Amino acid sequence: MFSFSVLAQVFVDGIGLSAIYILIALGFTLLFGIMRVVNFAHGAFAMLGGYALYFLYGNAGLPYLVAAPLAALIVATVALVLERFVYRFFYQKMFQSMIGLLGLDMAITYLAVIVWNAEERSVPPSTDALMQMGGLVFPEQKLIIAGIAAVALLGFYLFTHYSRYGLAMRAAAQDVDIAEAQGVNSTAIYRLAFFIAIFMAALAGGFYAQTYALSPFAGQPQLMIAFVVVILGGMGSIPGVALGGLLLGFANSFLGTFYGSATSIFVSFGAVIVLLIVRPWGLLGTREA
Amino acid sequence: MSKPSTIESGALPQGIRPRRLVEQPVRRWLTRPGVLAIIVLVLIALPLVVQDKFILSVGVTTFITAIAAVSLHLIVRTGHVSLGHAAFMGIGAYVSAIATMQLNLPFPLALTLGFLAPAVIALLIGPVVLRLTGKYFVLVTFLFGEIVRTVFVNWQSVTGGSSGISGVPAPSPLFAQPVPFYYLALALAVVIIAFIARLLTSEIGRTIDSIRESEPLARCSGVPVLQTKVAIFMLGCGLAGVAGALQGHFVHYIDPTSFSMDQSLNLVVINVVGGMYTLIGPIVGTLFMVLLPEFLRGYVELQHVFFGIVLVLVMAFFSGGIADIGTLFRRLSHERGARRGNP
Repeated sequence: MFSFSVLAQVFVDGIGLSAIYILIALGFTLLFGIMRVVNFAHGAFAMLGGYALYFLYGNAGLPYLVAAPLAALIVATVALVLERFVYRFFYQKMFQSMIGLLGLDMAITYLAVIVWNAEERSVPPSTDALMQMGGLVFPEQKLIIAGIAAVALLGFYLFTHYSRYGLAMRAAAQDVDIAEAQGVNSTAIYRLAFFIAIFMAALAGGFYAQTYALSPFAGQPQLMIAFVVVILGGMGSIPGVALGGLLLGFANSFLGTFYGSATSIFVSFGAVIVLLIVRPWGLLGTREA
Repeated sequence: MSKPSTIESGALPQGIRPRRLVEQPVRRWLTRPGVLAIIVLVLIALPLVVQDKFILSVGVTTFITAIAAVSLHLIVRTGHVSLGHAAFMGIGAYVSAIATMQLNLPFPLALTLGFLAPAVIALLIGPVVLRLTGKYFVLVTFLFGEIVRTVFVNWQSVTGGSSGISGVPAPSPLFAQPVPFYYLALALAVVIIAFIARLLTSEIGRTIDSIRESEPLARCSGVPVLQTKVAIFMLGCGLAGVAGALQGHFVHYIDPTSFSMDQSLNLVVINVVGGMYTLIGPIVGTLFMVLLPEFLRGYVELQHVFFGIVLVLVMAFFSGGIADIGTLFRRLSHERGARRGNP
């Protein structure tokens, strides 16, 4: 069963999954690292991204490369309202944010049930085409997902390292008070970070809906993924997200193919619990005082 | 993690109490022995007046949920919010159901096992997970709940997989009728809540509060922090198991979804909305969470939206919860007075 073609398949699946996982978890870790908010509503925004893609691409029939970013953009823009009226009260309050945002998650999920009912829908894949490479056959869709995710991640890296606002964001993450003393407008920076985080979550939610299925409850497994990836890598650490996402993506792809999805859940959650116990700050995180 | 302090809600010992701007929260008069006795008497008298099966079953659900909620309250009081509490309910429910159905054990023994099994599991994982602080504890219990649910779904030979176990017998032929079962649930709820109330007002209760306020300080004062936390965690999880077992024998059916994340979340909502740092909180929260949905059956989704928004509001502005609502009103009127220039 460990033949070359199967392993290659597992590898491609792993890349596709890792791309989605990293996108989801990056926003989560960003919100945690900068605002000290544990965003329990992250999965709900990803779910909304799935619905946005469903309507823009599945129903309205926009070209895929327009629909996917546009869907995420719409969700992130609408979410700014929530930033003003909900999130702003939870910045720098880790404990309160956890429980309060669980409430937000609940409210969004069940509003989605009321608006779109609970039945499962499927978002059509971007392309049915298969790609032939030597003796191996891959669905092109996985590569498109990985490609868009890679562009988003690269854009994020360039933004945080070379743009004025990106640098201000990193400064605020290190120490808000000092950053403010240097003239960084923390309210604006928080809003910007929130927008980016939700944009990536919604983008990932669209891919997730294409890979699996879409329902108002699709947010919960995605929230779990964000947790696992972020804990693996270390809360607030951006390279940690990349590492955690790759580990989890490949582990899920490998274990899920050969041993079934239940085993894959057990192993990944079990590994995370063990890691939390011996090294709670994650593989690449920094130890808290 | 910044732990909310209880000092403002009146946890200082007698004698050194400073002059408080806001005094006499609702729970002061709720905890008077006379008021409690009247409430219990009304609950005892209820089946004599109302024989309606629906009302009685709402009553039983309230009692079971109250047991589960106060068992979580115990753990919350040590400063840890568990998002996997329903998993322990589930363990209790499955153990008790399997004990009565497959091992033919009598109900009291099965219920005891339903208490012991989650407590033993809490003893095994407690010493490890209770070392974690704040957010990490929340995340681990969250994942633990999912693992337990996955076990329930996948261990088909024992748990019946996702279709669950149906035909869980009533405790005895007598308790198959609604009125006796009502009294059984009431008795268990009263005994357990009274026990927890006594525990929390005792030396141990003050130890628990000291651990929540500051672990290092408690340790320096000679409090065995980890042992106390593990013991309380065991007790809380065991009592959750009792609630789960009772629920199984009441509904005659258990399945993994009744003990999933949603149920854990409900228990947290009950504690937070009711008020996290007094025992009255989860009880008021239970009334709020069980009675409201039961009488608004048609709008299940809307209730969830409503509870979600309440949760956001409570956490953002008012961590005392409903049990402290009097304080909120006083604070508001005080602020208004201050703005007018006469504080």
